[in-house]
Amino acid sequence: MNLKSFKNLSFAIFFLYFFLVSIKLLEKGIKTLGAEYTDALFESVSNPFAGLLVGILCTVLVQSSSVTTATIVGLVGSGVLSLEYAIPMVMGANIGTTVTNTLVSFGHVRREQEFKRAFAASTMHDFFNLLVVIILFPLDLYTGFITKMAENGTDFIIATGFTATKPNSPIKAGIKWGSNNLLDGISSIPFIGNLSENSYRVYAVLLIIIAIAFIFLSLRNVVSNMKSLMLNQIEFGLDKALARGGGLFAILIGILITFSVQSSSITTSILVPIVGSGILSIENAFPITLGANIGTTITAVLASFAVDDPAGLTIALHHVFFNLIGVIIVYPVKAVRNFPVNLAKRLSVITAKRRYIAILYVLVTFLLLPLLGVVIFN
Amino acid sequence: MSKESLDNIDAKLSEMLTNSMHIFDTAMNCLLGDTNLDSVRDDLYSTDKAINELHREVRREMIVHSAVNSRNLDIPLLLSYMTMSKDIERIGDYCKNLFEIAETGNTFVKGDDLDSYIELRNDIGKLIVYLQSCLALDDESKVQDLITLGSSISSDLDNRITNLLENKDEIQFPVASTLFFRYLKRIVSHIINASTALIMPTDQIDYLDE
Repeated sequence: MNLKSFKNLSFAIFFLYFFLVSIKLLEKGIKTLGAEYTDALFESVSNPFAGLLVGILCTVLVQSSSVTTATIVGLVGSGVLSLEYAIPMVMGANIGTTVTNTLVSFGHVRREQEFKRAFAASTMHDFFNLLVVIILFPLDLYTGFITKMAENGTDFIIATGFTATKPNSPIKAGIKWGSNNLLDGISSIPFIGNLSENSYRVYAVLLIIIAIAFIFLSLRNVVSNMKSLMLNQIEFGLDKALARGGGLFAILIGILITFSVQSSSITTSILVPIVGSGILSIENAFPITLGANIGTTITAVLASFAVDDPAGLTIALHHVFFNLIGVIIVYPVKAVRNFPVNLAKRLSVITAKRRYIAILYVLVTFLLLPLLGVVIFN
Repeated sequence: MSKESLDNIDAKLSEMLTNSMHIFDTAMNCLLGDTNLDSVRDDLYSTDKAINELHREVRREMIVHSAVNSRNLDIPLLLSYMTMSKDIERIGDYCKNLFEIAETGNTFVKGDDLDSYIELRNDIGKLIVYLQSCLALDDESKVQDLITLGSSISSDLDNRITNLLENKDEIQFPVASTLFFRYLKRIVSHIINASTALIMPTDQIDYLDE
């Protein structure tokens, strides 16, 4: 390992720890705010459809489903957000994250054919996630089967005695130590220190904002350092995926790349220019995208290590199972597999001819409809 | 920048040159030796296809590399790879053209100039090998030597073509010889162009004489 790689790895580990500490800080901030306020705050997502749309909006705004899901894990883990409310929000985060690679596809807007391919490569992820939400959201809402799977998974992991899930585990102790010191540091700033004594609610809100900002900052640094560290492996993996075409191998490549960089947007955004140039077909890029959808769930699982309540792990596992089941439903049957791909292709034909429709699509799908929906469902 | 993937591209360019050397030798042996054309035809065309496939692989690797390293991309280097791979790919095409001269029944085996043609073959063969070593060594002075040597061979070929056009040389197959020299000159030019990509500013690549 050379010095640069060592530096990247050290920073990635540090920021991963800082990420977990920030989740804990968020938990502390929420607890400081008090149940009466947090209950009122999350009343707006008591309608599952509103929760779904809030998940989309939040992810579009922060451009990272990992930040949204990690924050939700923190909220669930601190006991202020129920699983019932959190599940649709995580599903929404899945949809919202696809906006990033759609924006990346606009980089190819000058050349019609290239834009057509690039836009299809990005929107197939949108259509896949929408399709899976359309199938699994009502199904889980009424039967709760994914929730039950996640709860059983949580019980199983706790029963195995996995260190990170134990209340007095060294990992949790380390995170607690870090968050206590961070909290002391923040509170030692005179202005904030005064707030903690005189106006604890403003202080709590400030802590929550700082924690979310730290989650965003730390994840961003984990992603950038891991990406620098894994550049060769990413290229190697993509070269192999190109050589082999699609299939399960491509799903595995998608999982591994996303798992290693902790961001599905990185994986799917890398695919956009590759498909745009025409060297990878949309059909063969699709399984890599599906793999990215699975790989991205690891961040929520990591975040669950920072919280005390096992419900944090349950929501993280729900995210894992939801994305896994989505791939199992869509991928094996060719007709189903081709459905989101063909929808994306059809939309790309239209947008390549009238490119303003692509902008309208992004604004309507990721901003206007969710905003309108939140207003209607509340 | 990810070094390993660039090393991969270097390795592919080197493999293209190895194949180019093979196809060049094969084509020249058909014109300057008593090689049975039927026995080498398939090998020659499949080698050219292998060069073309390597060319496409280089392009694919560059796209993947650009997509993965979008934030700190060495664009001049990638542009030089692009032009270099194209030049190397063209060597194979001209070797095919040389083989086609032989296929039309022309051979220089019994001509008076056979020895000088063999010398030409050896010199151009050396240029290909030299380019391969320049690619591996990243040594500007070696590239300059290659350009100097290539330019002198190119001038020699130009003179031969001019002499033929002006009917100064009595020769057995004038048309075939003109094409022969012309194709060899194109091969040498592509070798020089590929080498300029190693050392010259991006906008100056291919324009050595301007």
